[in-house]
Order: sequence, then structure tokens, then C-alpha cells
Amino acid sequence: MRWMSVGTREDFAEFYRRSKDECLFTVLVSAGDRDTAQELVAEAFARAWASWRTVSRHPAPKAWVIRTALNLNVSRWRRRHREVPVADPGRIVDQPAVDGAVGGPVDPQIMAALMRLPARQRQVVALRLVLDLDTGRTAEVLGIAPGTVQAHLGRAMAALRADLMPEPQQENR
Amino acid sequence: MMNDDDLITLVREQRGKVPMTTPVEEIIGRGRAVRARRRTAGLAGALAVATGAAVAVAALIPSGHLAARQPTAQLAAWTVTRQADGDIEVTINELRNPAGLQATLRADGVPAHVRFGPSRRPGACQPYPQSPSLLRTIIQMHPSRRGVLIIDPSAIPGGVGLAIEVFRVYVNGQPDPNGISEGSSLVYASEQCTGS
Repeated sequence: MRWMSVGTREDFAEFYRRSKDECLFTVLVSAGDRDTAQELVAEAFARAWASWRTVSRHPAPKAWVIRTALNLNVSRWRRRHREVPVADPGRIVDQPAVDGAVGGPVDPQIMAALMRLPARQRQVVALRLVLDLDTGRTAEVLGIAPGTVQAHLGRAMAALRADLMPEPQQENR
Repeated sequence: MMNDDDLITLVREQRGKVPMTTPVEEIIGRGRAVRARRRTAGLAGALAVATGAAVAVAALIPSGHLAARQPTAQLAAWTVTRQADGDIEVTINELRNPAGLQATLRADGVPAHVRFGPSRRPGACQPYPQSPSLLRTIIQMHPSRRGVLIIDPSAIPGGVGLAIEVFRVYVNGQPDPNGISEGSSLVYASEQCTGS
């Protein structure tokens, strides 16, 4: 195939190198399980490579990968006819340190707080805060209204603030 | 007091602390498999259109016979059927002709090493780092029917193969007539092990 030139492959390799960790973390926050997230993201990137001529021209290729990974997760759930395992914060934070991790291990308190959010709020946090998509693109990826994105983000921020920074209790005298 | 900016910074700092470890070569290998699957699906679609036309013509002829959809390969010992979504269903009835099953699976795009008999790792195969979640994505045992496997060839990463071992279950030293058990593991794909 002529379009699969060396440069195109290098473009994809560079895109993968730059985006893979962000995409994995985004899907991890959404899916809740590291092995599952890694598998979903790998398959989504493989599909991106299979359609690289189109995806490389997409205005937000990372969003394309994330949407593909999240859709795969839904298809996987439907196909297997069983519940996707509930996110288990302990499972994620107990992962041993992996070569290539930047800035030390993941903060268990923050991960646990993220995992305690309802699934939709986690998805919105992942796309808006982790991947830094704007409200419109987040709404497009999740197939919901922009106002709904803002509402979920507001609730999620309030819950995270309360979880990570509880109100100081009054001392009883 | 933590404000929104502090909170956003805290969350964003976690990026990169969970690195994606799959090498780009593996991703590109999987991408090739995706393209190959699409091409196959396209050909199958064209074939379906052609078959549909043939059926329409046959329907006009009173004595015409309509061909039923056939599995990829069917023997009394085992059956291999490609499903509409690309998955491959294997039904093993008897432990005969493992080489034939292996060749059929390979022809269907599954780099497989099939062994019927006592469970032991085939010498020609090198074990791939085991990932239960990846294995579950590739192959599923039927929850209630023994000897029935569903394989998703598109989920097999490049350079990876599937070792399938099927053996007879014995009860009190006697072979159980309905007792077939199966196991599977990931191996490195190679000429000696999986044929490619």
C-alpha cells in the first residue's frame, strides 16, 4: 500500500509515544481496571493505525482513540453478557511500580477518590481533566449534551474536594 | 483550602504514573490484523451479495436447491465455525485429528498449537508472559458445554500464538464418556510452534 510510507509509520509511532500514557490513564479512570484499560487502549491504537490515513487528519486523534476504547469496553460488556468488574481502588494502587513511570507511583488517595465517583462522572473527569478535552469534544465522545458534561464535572469536583479535603471537625471541649 | 486549580493539578499529576507498556511494534502488528479482518469482512460481504443473488435466481426455479450456511470445517471429531462477528467457535466431540484442527484454525487466522492428550507444555513452544485478561479476550470456554471454545482472532497480538490442550477426563480410572476438558495458554508464535 503506497500510503503506508515510512514517514506515516513514524508519525503514528510518535503519536503513540506522545499519547499512550495519557490515553491509558484516561481509560483506566473510566474502566477502573488496569489490565482491561491496557488491553482496550492497545486495541484502540491498533485500530487507529489500521485507519491512520483518516485518524491522522482527525481534529482530536487522542479523543478518537479514547472513544474507540470506551466503545470497545461497552461492546465487550455486551458480548460477554456479564458485569464489568466494579472498579477496585486497591487493585490499581497496589500495582507494583513499572519501569517508565514518571514522578513516582500513582497517589493511592487520589485514585481511590476517583474510583469512588459514579461511572459517568469518572468518564467526564477523565476526558475533561486528564485528557484536557473541552466541554464540546467531551460531550461528543460520550454522546451526551454539553450541559450534562458540565453538571457531571461540577458534581465530580465537589465529591473529589470533599473526599480529598474533608472539612476539619470541631474539637469537643 | 484546596481550590479547583489545586484539585485539577493533583489529578493531572497522576498522568504518566501508569505507563502504557505495550511496544509500538505490537500495536502496529495488531493494526495489520485489523486491516486483514476488514478485508476478509469486505470479501465475505461481496460473497454474501453474490450468494444472495444466486439464491434469488434459485428461488425462481421450482426444483432449485438452496445451500445452507456451512461451518468452515466439520468432522465428527470436531467442528470449526466462523461466526458473523469474526469469532471462531470450536466444538470438540472426540479427541481425534488434532493436526487437522490445528491446520483449520491456522487457515482461519489463529496461530494455534493444538494438542489432544495429557496436559503438558508442548516442547516446540515458548510460553508468552501470561496475561489472564488478554487470554480471556482471545479465548473463552463455554460456561456450560464442555469442549466448546470461542476464539477472537482479532484480539491476538502480533507475535503471539495460542496453545490449546484438550484431554479426556477420567473418573475412578475409567474415561468419562462426556468428560472432555480443555486448557489454553499464550505462546510466542513461531514456525515450530504455531506454523508462522
